[in-house]
Amino acid sequence: MYEPKIIGYLCTYCSYPGADLAGTSRLKYPPNVNIIRVLCSGRVSPELILRTFREGADGVLVAGCHFGDCHFINGNHRTAKRIPILKKILEYAGMEPQRLRLEWISASEGERFAEVVEEFTETIRGLPPMKEVLR
Amino acid sequence: MKRMEPLKRAVAEALKEWDGVLALRSAWGGVAPHLFCREEELDGLALWPKYPLPRTLQLIQRAHPESRLGIVARGCEERGLIEMAKRNQIDLERIRVIGLACTAEEAQICPCSKPYPSILTDMVIGERIEPVADKAVEEFLAKSSEERLEFWKSQFSKCIKCYACRTACPQCFCPECTLEDALWVEIGRIPPPFPSFHLVRAMHTVGKCVGCRECELSCPAHIPLTTLYTLIRREVEELFGYQTGESLEAKPPLVLPMEMET
Amino acid sequence: MVSVGQHENIEILSFSEVEEVSGYVGNFEVKVRKKARYVKEELCNGCGLCQEKCPARNIPSEFDCGIGSRKAIYMPFPQAIPRIPVIDKVNCIYFQKGRCRACEKLCPREAVDFEQEDRILDLEVGTIIVATGFDLFDCTRAPQYGYGRLDNVLTSLEFERMINSQGPTGGKVLLKDGRVPQSVAILHCIGSRDENYNEYCSRVCCMYSLKFAHLVRDSIGAQVYELYIDMRTFGKGYEEFYKRLMKEDVIFIRGKGAEVTDVAERPREEGKLIVKCEDTLLGELRRIPVDMVILSNGLEPRRDATQTARLFGLSRSRDGFFLEKHPKLAPVETASDGILIAGACQGPKDIPDTVAQAGAAAAVALSMMDMGKWTLEPSIAQVDVERCSGCGECLLACPYKAIELVEGRAQVSETLCKGCGTCVGHCLPKAITLLHFTDEQLVAEMQGALLELEVV
Repeated sequence: MYEPKIIGYLCTYCSYPGADLAGTSRLKYPPNVNIIRVLCSGRVSPELILRTFREGADGVLVAGCHFGDCHFINGNHRTAKRIPILKKILEYAGMEPQRLRLEWISASEGERFAEVVEEFTETIRGLPPMKEVLR
Repeated sequence: MKRMEPLKRAVAEALKEWDGVLALRSAWGGVAPHLFCREEELDGLALWPKYPLPRTLQLIQRAHPESRLGIVARGCEERGLIEMAKRNQIDLERIRVIGLACTAEEAQICPCSKPYPSILTDMVIGERIEPVADKAVEEFLAKSSEERLEFWKSQFSKCIKCYACRTACPQCFCPECTLEDALWVEIGRIPPPFPSFHLVRAMHTVGKCVGCRECELSCPAHIPLTTLYTLIRREVEELFGYQTGESLEAKPPLVLPMEMET
Repeated sequence: MVSVGQHENIEILSFSEVEEVSGYVGNFEVKVRKKARYVKEELCNGCGLCQEKCPARNIPSEFDCGIGSRKAIYMPFPQAIPRIPVIDKVNCIYFQKGRCRACEKLCPREAVDFEQEDRILDLEVGTIIVATGFDLFDCTRAPQYGYGRLDNVLTSLEFERMINSQGPTGGKVLLKDGRVPQSVAILHCIGSRDENYNEYCSRVCCMYSLKFAHLVRDSIGAQVYELYIDMRTFGKGYEEFYKRLMKEDVIFIRGKGAEVTDVAERPREEGKLIVKCEDTLLGELRRIPVDMVILSNGLEPRRDATQTARLFGLSRSRDGFFLEKHPKLAPVETASDGILIAGACQGPKDIPDTVAQAGAAAAVALSMMDMGKWTLEPSIAQVDVERCSGCGECLLACPYKAIELVEGRAQVSETLCKGCGTCVGHCLPKAITLLHFTDEQLVAEMQGALLELEVV
């Protein structure tokens, strides 16, 4: 059975501790997401996201701090601009833009993280594996 | 309206003050860029086919930083100059633009959002015409998601990774190019694996592509690159309010924090 | 507080606000607005004559929770340090109507100065401790308790002021009509442990509620009902105090007060406040008629916590209090090096715990200043000038303005760069890299992560 593979790029000061909190709170969420920590969501480049899809990720989650809470003042603003335009490019290329998801998750939102992973995994499960799309 | 005679007169006039005017001359059945320095040379002035001059101007300016140069620029070339200047690639203080408006015929072959310059110069040779709708873009928009994927898969499968699109682009001025980096585009595969090369390039056009079509015109495989890039340019305008090439003051769209109060 | 005021190494900037913070650990620049109090601090000796003689009276006193009153020139509370009054522009007759100036005329030291202006101070400091405290839960948000609508429903702080011997009633417990109450109900957990308001426990209320019970029994001997969910008497001597109160004939009802009403259903409820609750130990619904109700309202982050957090770059936990670096191992540090938090602004706590945290924060600050050096995170951005086109986009992308163009190529300032990598995420030719988070490293991680997901 097809189990989607999702890579999450999470920022060190908000979304990663948020995911950590989901773990320490023993919240259940699907095991389909593997997390890669970056210092700020602003670090995530479009090239990295595209390479992630090419390597076989069916979905990519980019998570950062809520506006106003970014540990690096407003690195997340640039993420907030980059991701939507990349999604539009995916859309025009005929690739489902919902494979790329941007979320703002704070250090205390363990439940939100689990929710997002749950939702996103289901969304990706409903799409064909990326390997087939890129063949 | 005939443009050749008024253009020749404008260039001749300019040569009295400036060191040279960059424009096109007839050569080998086509055109070639030429730095006109003397009035006598103007017999060879040519207007079509279109050929992008901004990067050539940059090269000349780099070699002769003190020079005062003119350039005969169409709408797209003016836009290209604006985006280059914004990124410190060219010094507009020492450059004067002689505007050239595209004819209706030219605009049919090469549709864009504004077929005449209007920002860097008041002097525009030729009649300013209304922009011509890009049929290829409209046709593309009617396609479904699956059709779009099939379309680009088949188009990009023709790509021989010649980098002509990159080389011809007035905005591609980076000393080293991401598209040549194995980390982002697998080396040694023709066509390059879908969709790395082309979507990385597409992302790089954000806030830079001015719709000059040089990429498409130089592509030996006739891949309709402009269709994709035009759609992206429209999104950039809608998402960020950024009209590529239309303002010297507006900062590149992805780099500044949001204005909204949070 | 007096010893703090007299210490030569401590400068108290009262009636002042931080407007801007910039810089980094060891090198903070803080802009402080010292607001005009219209009294010259260097001349005033705190004699209080101005306060006595000011004709603008009956202004509700903030310190006395509106129960007592003050003048337009006033000291915020009797123990205020520095012992210098402030003029309230809104109520001062001179500022409003151009007349009076009695304080100016009468001051023996000529310390009143109506022309005084705000001053901006630029401070250079190495460390910052944020100890901005808390606000109490606003009981008007819980209208079922009748606060603000019914007479004799008081918040904890209002009762605290009432029973204080220097308070507006001189320490006498009185109803609004001047009578002494015969019965008092103290309702725990107002606004706390409640899905409708704040889910957390405010930690201090059980003890202060017991304290009130004791003081009521002691001063007026009224019947006291304590309505509680759990009795959280966790500290040194706290449980013993609770036991003592049980011997003082305080009636403990295990059941949170649900409603306070003045609608009587039977003769003995006439003219009283009726507290409705479920007595869970008895398993019965009860109506308890009393003369006075004290709402033990909980602690919340200050109303301006959002602005304070932005100012100092603090994160907040789910409950809104400032976020510590680690709940167990670093309770007074924050994610921003050099900025520490202490006290109730980090989470509800009582005085002993606050003092302990204050000591901890001071110790951390001292150790930083003593070391004189700080180890920077090694993750900083670096430019490969061969690849850089000088386009300058990274300059605009950097939240810290840590990049500048030098000889046409980007250059990163190692001290200003915090390693966020936003420039790296943006750079088109990938001319700028982030040490320890390079593209090669992230791609390798990603490949490994995907391999691991193969077996899911």
